[in-house]
Amino acid sequence: MSGFLRSGDEKIGITLSSQEAHVLINLTEQIIELLGEEDGGSHLSDGHTVDDLMRMVGISTNDAPPIDPVLLRLLPSAYKNAEQSAEFRRYTEHGLREKKRANAMTIREALIPQDEDWDNDSPLDVAHITTVIEAGDELSWLAGMNDIRLALAVRLDIGVEKDTKPQHEKYELMVESDPMKAVYAVYAWIGWLQESLLKLL
Amino acid sequence: METLTETKVKSDLRADRPWVCVVWDDPVNLMSYVTHVFILLFGFSKEKATELMMKVHVEGKAIVNSGTREEMELDVQRLHEYGLWATLQRDDEI
Repeated sequence: MSGFLRSGDEKIGITLSSQEAHVLINLTEQIIELLGEEDGGSHLSDGHTVDDLMRMVGISTNDAPPIDPVLLRLLPSAYKNAEQSAEFRRYTEHGLREKKRANAMTIREALIPQDEDWDNDSPLDVAHITTVIEAGDELSWLAGMNDIRLALAVRLDIGVEKDTKPQHEKYELMVESDPMKAVYAVYAWIGWLQESLLKLL
Repeated sequence: METLTETKVKSDLRADRPWVCVVWDDPVNLMSYVTHVFILLFGFSKEKATELMMKVHVEGKAIVNSGTREEMELDVQRLHEYGLWATLQRDDEI
């Protein structure tokens, strides 16, 4: 049985089939990559960009809302007013990206085999893996799984509209061979995982 | 005719008026997760957190905190870290 469980010594652990672990590792890597992408920047003559220098102090020179709808969902605007929103973004977006990347990395590092030769294409050679969630990492897992669900929701067109029932029904009625049905199954599964962790907290 | 004192009182009132942090409904975030985040970030009781979560869910949005602009910016930032859809505004703009 997969999911989170509290063991006899009070520690929380997660048990996943190797296939499930692969899916989660892959998704966290996509989130890490997506959040690491920065949009250009003005170049200085010595090869450094202004962005590099600003980033060192946590300030971004790019304050426009992300164009990618997934990034916009993960990094929403704080104000309705575009100007105020841009200013907020300039001082906080970099930190928010880093925080979300760190959450995804926590999940990834807990799941990848400790074998140095391992890469994402090699199969996990065990049927199930069980990993102990380090104390204090529970919140990173919760927030990290939530970010994955938000990202998948954009791809699944589960928007911010009030009524999502038709969308859920649409995926449930889809034929098994439709790839979007598989994406929806992963989305629903991670929601279930998140719920199983919440029950233990 | 407005006196200078009256104008000053009015602008002072506006300056005192708090900013609010608004959480918007999002069908992706689990109800139990949103409640958990409210307890975690604002120290609400389970009852209060559940009530606010339901308000977001049913009414589409809810004010979760009020205070200075800086305080509300920090709240929005922390809510965004947890993937909740939050904005801030002056309480008379709601």
